[in-house]
Amino acid sequence: MAKIVAIVKMVPDLVEELEINEAGTGLDRDWLRLIINEFDNHAIEQAILLKERDAGEVTVIAPDAEGVEDMLFTTAAKGADRMIKLAGDLEEGANNHALARAFAEAAKPYQPDLILTGVQANDDLDGPVGPLVAEYLGMPYVGYISGVTIEGNKAIVRKEYPGGLIGEMEVTLPAVLGIQAGEEPPRYVAISKVRQMMKTAEIDEQEISELNPNGGVIAKRMYLPEAAKRAEMIEGDEEEIAAKLVAIFKKAGAL
Amino acid sequence: MPERLNYWGIPHTWGKPELYVYTIMFLAAAIMLFRFYRQASPWWRIGRSEPRWDKLHLRVWRVIQYAIIQTRVLRQRYPGLMHVAIAWSFFVFFLGTALATVHDHFFEFLYGNTLVIYKFTLDVFTIIFIIGAGMAIYRRYAQKPERLTLEPGFTWTLSLIVIIVLGGLGTESLRLAVERPDWGAWSPAGWLLAQLWISTGASETTLTNWHLGIWIFHLLTVAVTLITLPTGTLLHTLTGPLNAFFSKLDRPMGALAPAAETAEGKPIFVSKLSDLTWKQLLDGDACTECGRCQDACPAFGAGTPLSPKKLILSLRDALHHNGGQPNLVGEAIPEEVLWSCTTCGACIQECPVLIEHIDTIVDLRRTMVIEGMIDAELQDALTNLGRYGNSFGQSERMRARWSKEIEPKVKDAGKEAVEYLWFVGDYASYSPTLTEITQRTAEVFQKIGLDFGIMYKGENHAGNDVRRVGEEGLFEMLVEKNVKAMSRCDYQSIVTTDPHTYNTLKNEYPPNGEQPVLHYSELLDQLIASGKLKLSNKLGYKVTYHDPCYLGRYNGVYDAPRRVIEATGCEIVEMPRNRDCALCCGAGGGRIWMEEGEVNERPSESRIREAVQLKGVTDFIVACPKDITMYRDAVKTTGEENNLVIKDLIELVYEAL
Repeated sequence: MAKIVAIVKMVPDLVEELEINEAGTGLDRDWLRLIINEFDNHAIEQAILLKERDAGEVTVIAPDAEGVEDMLFTTAAKGADRMIKLAGDLEEGANNHALARAFAEAAKPYQPDLILTGVQANDDLDGPVGPLVAEYLGMPYVGYISGVTIEGNKAIVRKEYPGGLIGEMEVTLPAVLGIQAGEEPPRYVAISKVRQMMKTAEIDEQEISELNPNGGVIAKRMYLPEAAKRAEMIEGDEEEIAAKLVAIFKKAGAL
Repeated sequence: MPERLNYWGIPHTWGKPELYVYTIMFLAAAIMLFRFYRQASPWWRIGRSEPRWDKLHLRVWRVIQYAIIQTRVLRQRYPGLMHVAIAWSFFVFFLGTALATVHDHFFEFLYGNTLVIYKFTLDVFTIIFIIGAGMAIYRRYAQKPERLTLEPGFTWTLSLIVIIVLGGLGTESLRLAVERPDWGAWSPAGWLLAQLWISTGASETTLTNWHLGIWIFHLLTVAVTLITLPTGTLLHTLTGPLNAFFSKLDRPMGALAPAAETAEGKPIFVSKLSDLTWKQLLDGDACTECGRCQDACPAFGAGTPLSPKKLILSLRDALHHNGGQPNLVGEAIPEEVLWSCTTCGACIQECPVLIEHIDTIVDLRRTMVIEGMIDAELQDALTNLGRYGNSFGQSERMRARWSKEIEPKVKDAGKEAVEYLWFVGDYASYSPTLTEITQRTAEVFQKIGLDFGIMYKGENHAGNDVRRVGEEGLFEMLVEKNVKAMSRCDYQSIVTTDPHTYNTLKNEYPPNGEQPVLHYSELLDQLIASGKLKLSNKLGYKVTYHDPCYLGRYNGVYDAPRRVIEATGCEIVEMPRNRDCALCCGAGGGRIWMEEGEVNERPSESRIREAVQLKGVTDFIVACPKDITMYRDAVKTTGEENNLVIKDLIELVYEAL
């Protein structure tokens, strides 16, 4: 019976316009609305699918954030066995290095065979979480995965390459996988099931012993894309356009 | 004096003929009841219990209305007249036979003029029956409408009842041919036939012998009919009235019940027959297979796999299928069938025996939702509704963005008291194609000096279609959020342009006391009537009006929008399918959120083709935001863009102001 840990996090929901904080170094968190990282949601789906297929135990670990409990209860309604919320001084948006250390520390006691996480997130300023966790736990990591089969102490994974190529490879467990897409899209859970979980399921809250951001990046300036000079539309028939293009290239010194 | 002769022409040597008659009839009736019991007992042996015994007087009235007078049957002329000609005749024959029994054993009254009237009435109904049966034969074997089930069982039943009536007519005519009473012509059909017998020159003995033979045959045919009744077409004569008697009385058509709960308080998700109530199983056995629902169904008309008739018959087949209960979802009824329903209510409206199709469809959809068996588009919509309170997946802060350009600013009903709380709804708030119409609505409200406000981001999707998709938990959550937001507002009435919102607020939300819920057509109609709204321009267009399902069929609002249209100086030309027969646009019941699947002709396209047939009609008026979306698409896909303009009611009013 495989022990699977899904590590997931809440990220800014892009339905709201993002604003930069006063210091100009990060997002203004007062205005942020958070949503589960889409790739993490696929990682959860993949974990539940593995559990349903081969039996197993799924633990979901997420750092505390607004809406994280609803998210964890939703994963419980999908079939996760244990939900862990990592608490600590996360207000300032701890970087992925700090989070990965905390994830690794939290995951270790469960002796996971497989750690699944989203291959990337929209707030990954210092690289994705998966490889960092693998590094801290001394496990192999494969990213861009869209299918997992567990066979004994090995996993056969489908890795997506650019250009539509797909590779199949074998990984010795325990391992960390960065999920690009679950074998099935994340399932829908009826609200009544989630509400039922809110009444019956429990979230295990664990304190992060130390948030250590070492190795991460320090953002000096964060800003919204600045409107550049407006694009120039080149009009005319083929000949004219070609002539104008040549003129532009010459002017730019490319020809 | 005209006198009734009991058992005329039965040889005296037979002793007491009534003994044979009553014995045969008693046995036939006993076998019939026993077989009916066997047919019916699965209802309560398999089905869940559900109390349907309250308000007996209303239930009896429903039986009178739907089973005896048959108002629903009469909604359609040919099949209606055909059916009542047969059914009412049999009612009269039963009554006649019962009166004869009373006369024979309890109280003699059938003599003199009373007997003549009695005979005349029975004879007239014999003629009416023959006309009805002729119509039925023509319908089954010549017209053959698609909606009917053309199976031999019907031929058997029709033959039996025709033979019964002809047998009765035969014995009567032979008796008249022998007796030749001077009041004989008061039995016109029998008398006419008697002339035929007389003209053959047969002797009285021959005629009397023929009479005896036909009399016995008549008796046996009645017995056979009774015995076969519980397993044939005629079963509906028992289950139809029962279904009318037990039809729902506890809530209006526009209110769905939440999922039933087990004794432990867990919701029941219907997967097997035993999860349905006995009444839902009775629905299956009550179906007369007349196919009116199928004819009226927009999903069937579009070529989707749903036929409400087949759906109900699948329940019947599952119930009487030997060996184990099939899974209802997927096995007895394919998933696509259940998802095709727009919950327009046309099937319920047409069903002569008051079958409640949509309750069962929603029960089964709830099962699919809880099992996660939903398509990707619907999943996105529900996820968005759960997260943002709208199906568009936009921030609630954007809900009132349409109002930015409105001057003066639309009041926030959560902050200041208003007379009318305008529940804008999702489509009117977020859909870019509707922004202009929503702004027009606000402008009209302002121009007529209405004191109104909106809830801005406090408003959530009202949940009507969320509930009909089967996502009850999400519906409850949306209701809680809206009720909370509304409780913070100080208002006298709620107004909405969206019939779906209107329906759920009016029929499904917790009662909000004295504050009525108005559709904007009702509000405008009131304001016109009270003189508060004066329309100065007479537009003079020739228009047609499309009744939204959740305004018309569900809530009976047909006249208010028509009066408003007339007040703008437009002439309404009705489409053939109007008012409670209006065709659904195809968007309801959550269909607007689902993958379309394969269709031959979208309901909205069929509707546009119906409208362009009307001579001189330039505008197609709607009173539902989703209708704008649906029909503006449909005029394009049908290539009728230049022939028909889709307009919201408010646009007419704005123009006429």
